[in-house]
Amino acid sequence: MSAVIQTSGLTKRYRRVTALSDCTISVPEGRISALVGPNGAGKTTLLRLLAGLAEPTTGQAIVLGGTPRQDPAYLAEIGFLAQEVPLYRRRTAEDHIGIGAHLNPRWDGESVRTRLSRVRIPLDRPVATLSGGQRAQLALALTLAKRPGLLLLDEPLAALDPLARQRFLGTLAEAAAAGGLTVVLSSHLIADIERVCDHLILLAESRVQLCGDIETLLEEHRILTGPRKDTTAIARTYAIVREDTTPRQTTLLVRMNGPVINPVWSVEEASMEEIVLGYMSQDDPDYSTERAAPRLSAVGGDQ
Amino acid sequence: MTWVTWQQYRYQAVAAAALFAALAVVLLITGLHAAAVWHFALTHCAADKSCASLVGSDLPLGNSVIATLVVATSAVPVLPGLLWGAPTVASELETGTNQFAWTQSITRRRWLAVRAGWLLLAAAVLAGAVSAIVTWWSGPFNALTADAFQVNRFDVTDIVPVGYAIFAMALGICAGTLLRRTLPALGITLAGFGAIRLVIALWIRKHYLTPITVYYKLTTPFTPPGSYLPVSQGVVGANGYPPTSGAGAVGVDGVPIPAACQQFMGRTNFNLRPVLSCMTTHGYRGYVTYQPASRFWAFQGIETGIFAVLAAVLIGITFWVLRRRDA
Repeated sequence: MSAVIQTSGLTKRYRRVTALSDCTISVPEGRISALVGPNGAGKTTLLRLLAGLAEPTTGQAIVLGGTPRQDPAYLAEIGFLAQEVPLYRRRTAEDHIGIGAHLNPRWDGESVRTRLSRVRIPLDRPVATLSGGQRAQLALALTLAKRPGLLLLDEPLAALDPLARQRFLGTLAEAAAAGGLTVVLSSHLIADIERVCDHLILLAESRVQLCGDIETLLEEHRILTGPRKDTTAIARTYAIVREDTTPRQTTLLVRMNGPVINPVWSVEEASMEEIVLGYMSQDDPDYSTERAAPRLSAVGGDQ
Repeated sequence: MTWVTWQQYRYQAVAAAALFAALAVVLLITGLHAAAVWHFALTHCAADKSCASLVGSDLPLGNSVIATLVVATSAVPVLPGLLWGAPTVASELETGTNQFAWTQSITRRRWLAVRAGWLLLAAAVLAGAVSAIVTWWSGPFNALTADAFQVNRFDVTDIVPVGYAIFAMALGICAGTLLRRTLPALGITLAGFGAIRLVIALWIRKHYLTPITVYYKLTTPFTPPGSYLPVSQGVVGANGYPPTSGAGAVGVDGVPIPAACQQFMGRTNFNLRPVLSCMTTHGYRGYVTYQPASRFWAFQGIETGIFAVLAAVLIGITFWVLRRRDA
């Protein structure tokens, strides 16, 4: 299957900070990819580079067979939804449908009306009077009405309550099921991601830590638990992502490329959350605590 | 994009049209009155051949409140730039809606071209319409006082207001794009427009073309014909320099009286003739340097051109920045 997004060494530096560093990822066609990582990891920067809203300092991105650029044909293929869900506050949904109709070659305004009427969002009221969830629904519907080949969504779930999240993801899954659509969706909410996503890009400290199909990633990673023991033997064969040690036992998150033979270690499957947290906390001393500590239900601080 | 622009600015357009209509009604009523008075005075002076003395007389053409209002229309050209120009990009950047607009299937270049194009046109039309009615209204007043070329008259009539309006709009759009914030952009637009208008009107305009200098005998004062633009005026001696103040330092209209002629001052009883004759015999001459009334349209053209070029530069900068900078 061809890659819709293929980047190599994509780097974005602002005056002093490096927002994204040497980002090389590949997202195959038809995936719903979750872009996760702590705040400030470069998720927004990556999405903006892919949308052509920002230019990379170095490196290259190939999206749908071309570089992201200010060009009507390219922009027609991209659906971008920024984090703060920017819409014209004093205009109605119907006004926005009109704007879209005048600025896009293929535009399905009717689909917006259908989607909104299904979730009972009024078309004739200013956006400012809508709730956060309604606004997000409207913005997603407008983005989908472009009939894009690639949908880039920056934390669309952050401001939504659980019910609104469910509706939003439902709309998204339905659109993706119709085919011809690839989605990259940044979020902190692992549980929601697990429901709809089948691909994962993990950024931390402006670098790519992990990129691949979730199924493969789950297969590759294991949690090893054993007595407190020297782990160099394990490290020779497998990549240890994270190591937690207590006086009595050692817990390892490892990326496997074969079975563990030593019976000292008990092997368990790793959950998405354990994998994500494992990679995100690699260099963070605060996280190097006992595994018995209460688990975070989500990654990052937006919850 | 034209539809989108119209949708965004339709209420402002209606409001501007309403305000213009109100101004037009006021100027139409008072202007018709002034025209009637002027016409009446002309027919009468033609009958007794006294029209030469009409210019500069105190013929009551209308009340001073309206005359002040007309001078105040020099603020009209900056308004579209302030109210529509400065926020047009800045407010999108402030609210993030540019991310919505610029990810539709339209390039930023075209988005700006259409929007800025219509806004520039709107500013030009509004300023042009106000100027047209002000120009018509000013006809009798300028004829009576022969000051069409003066600051505050020249600046509100004919084509220069269109140039000002285009410049203010371009400045507003450019400032909003560079500063990314509406309020600072408003400030810069107002200050920038005011400063450049002032500098040009007070110091630069006089020098668009080489002015004409006429020397005259002090005993037969010379005033250039028609609505001329004075550059400078004074008295020079045979050596080409103005008289220096003597011991007495008595002066007439700021011109020091040469020592040799001061003796006449005491007995003049406000009759300057002996002094002026004395100065003439000592080789002093009066001079006036001015731009003749015939250059009025050339100056209108030059000034409009200057502001149009400034506007073009600002719009060029805006395009460049919008295209190059990350959204």
